[in-house]
Amino acid sequence: MLRLIRNGMLEVDEWHVYDNSTAPIPDDESHWMVSLATWKNNFQLLSLRKHPVGILVPPDADPKDILSIDVRNLSSQPIALIAIDFPNYTDGRGFSLAQIFRTQYGWTGELRAVGDVLIDTIHYLARCGFDSFLIKEGHDPELALKAFETFTVHYQKSYPQPVKINS
Amino acid sequence: MYIYDEIDQKLVEQRVAQFREQTQRFLNGKLSDDEFRVLRLQNGLYIQRHAPMLRVAIPYGMLVSKQLRTLAYIARRWDRGYGHFSTRQNIQFNWPRLEDVPEILAKLATVQMHAIQTSGNCIRNTTTDHFAGLAPDEIINPLVWCEIIRQWSMLHPEFAFLPRKFKIAVSGALTDRAAVGVHDIGLQAIEVDGVLGFRVWVGGGLGRTPIVGKLVKPFVAWHDLLTYLQAVLRVYNLHGRRDNKYKARIKILVKDLTPEVFAQQVDEQWQLIKDGPDKVTEEYVRDISSRFVWPKYDPSLTEIEIIAQETANPKYERWLRTNVHGHRMNGYVSVTVSLKASGVPPGDITADQMDAIAEMSEKYGFGELRISHEQNLILADVRKNSLYSLWLELDMLNLATPNVGYITNIIACPGGDYCSLANAVSIPVAAAIQQRFDNLDFVYEIGELDLNLSGCINSCGHHHVGHIGILGVDKAGEEWYQITIGGRQNGGDSTDSSLTNNKGGGAAIGRVIGPSFAREQIPDVIYRLIQTYLRLRDSDAERFIDVVERLGITQFKQDVYADPLLAKAAISAEVSDA
Repeated sequence: MLRLIRNGMLEVDEWHVYDNSTAPIPDDESHWMVSLATWKNNFQLLSLRKHPVGILVPPDADPKDILSIDVRNLSSQPIALIAIDFPNYTDGRGFSLAQIFRTQYGWTGELRAVGDVLIDTIHYLARCGFDSFLIKEGHDPELALKAFETFTVHYQKSYPQPVKINS
Repeated sequence: MYIYDEIDQKLVEQRVAQFREQTQRFLNGKLSDDEFRVLRLQNGLYIQRHAPMLRVAIPYGMLVSKQLRTLAYIARRWDRGYGHFSTRQNIQFNWPRLEDVPEILAKLATVQMHAIQTSGNCIRNTTTDHFAGLAPDEIINPLVWCEIIRQWSMLHPEFAFLPRKFKIAVSGALTDRAAVGVHDIGLQAIEVDGVLGFRVWVGGGLGRTPIVGKLVKPFVAWHDLLTYLQAVLRVYNLHGRRDNKYKARIKILVKDLTPEVFAQQVDEQWQLIKDGPDKVTEEYVRDISSRFVWPKYDPSLTEIEIIAQETANPKYERWLRTNVHGHRMNGYVSVTVSLKASGVPPGDITADQMDAIAEMSEKYGFGELRISHEQNLILADVRKNSLYSLWLELDMLNLATPNVGYITNIIACPGGDYCSLANAVSIPVAAAIQQRFDNLDFVYEIGELDLNLSGCINSCGHHHVGHIGILGVDKAGEEWYQITIGGRQNGGDSTDSSLTNNKGGGAAIGRVIGPSFAREQIPDVIYRLIQTYLRLRDSDAERFIDVVERLGITQFKQDVYADPLLAKAAISAEVSDA
């Protein structure tokens, strides 16, 4: 079953999380996601790739770790996507990390929520700047698509209304 | 009252629709217990000892007659004909069925009410002074600012899943009646160089680790309030502990970082957002303020003296003395409707009483009420010349107990009779104390005294800030009660209004006098404490709390434990504790 919502549609998830137990970084192929620690420790090598990696950010990350030295704008970095992990949906740190990446580090590329991503949380996630969502198993992705429109009005001015589904 | 516009109304309705769908998924097995638990909590729904408990928000304690009638309707139709006012300007229904809750929420939405964020690890209902908008000593009208905070915090996408619950209190007056020193964030209105703003206390709170808040920002101008709150919440959301729920409140973070480092981290975040889109504009404040319907006071009413022949009635005179309060408008007063009659669980109110009070609020005022954290109702704008007939009506309904500010006006949580968290019962203990102090002349002789009672360390009865506090504890499966004295919710430094004042808004945490007591000993323990106080006070102007502050707790402690009967119970508590 398709579980990835991206650009307001259900898609196949092509990304794989890299396990660095055999080699520190993956071969130069598409759709590898590395941990934030791997990114930080191998930044020089990873930024020379033909196929930029995605970065998997844990909830307890220091957001500064994603920046290379002297770079304050993430969009100039060779990163394919940033995924923030929600080990449990009640751990709300990822919401603030997303805001920091979007509003302070200038990340305009894909920002994905992975892990315990519920029908019931994607509306908030979208408002905090996520535009891609890997819905947890057991939660109907079709219902999740509708959940973007749970609320059509909001109070907080600086957090956008989720983008209307174009299906 | 604040009148919802289309957006306000749509939001609460969409929230009801969302919860209806979530409940349906839960009942169909499509949402697990764990998943549903947090979602229902954020809609005020607990699973309690007997049945679900629904906590409905009364934002900043303001209520109008139509809303109170709807609460009465809900109590009759879906509960057992009564409700319970909590200590945080909420009302709780103890017997609804889960299946009915979406319907109840829909009914609430028809009168611009909701249960959003009355529980769970999110920003809770913002509370304030129970005389907000009425008190003669206000610098700002906290109702407007509480509504601004309500809107900012409601369904906030970034702060829905905090490490722990988060409570904000606002005081707009010179005297802090909102207990700003014991909230996660306490805001005290202040004017500096002609600019209105707030002192910001962070990290106060009761519960397991009672602590008075730290002044992290001596002055935040009104236009910076929301961005500053956002910065505080962001630092807390990212760095508050999530590994141990007992160390997850913001007070622990402030303590671990030190208030200085915490304030600095907040400031760093704040600098990045303070001039952004969430900066409060004059237009926005005016817009919110204009959506309140303010009472149209009669300017021809002037200050009058209470008619002498009426005050010849001693019961009425007592009530005038304790339950009638000053008002910013000439010829008007605020009146406390006491929900502390002897033998009635503190804060409980029947549907019939709700209807009757709604009626009185229209007959004697403008249909407006407030809820106090002392679990009483306030009739907001009563014409002073009609007090006597109001009193007659209240007295007939057992709502005129003249004890506001006195020992029998006990604040108490529902306790072990209802709450599944409680270690011990509260209501029977409160009743026993009220019975022990049933002589009103003696109660007045004792003078001003806050007696607060919690059935467990979660401290819903605010025992830490009672002049006398009682805490139910569990020792080897038995109920025991620990006594504290010297707590206060404010006033400890009321004369010091300087910015360097760092005494937590004048709040103080009570000190434990010694080993715990058995339930049946409690009225005698309290009586002993009172005897010591009466002996030690230098005049009847010196209150219980003043004596504790002047002399400390030693003499009180000695006197209580010198009583062989009381000491014996305390020793057996110690043994079972060991």
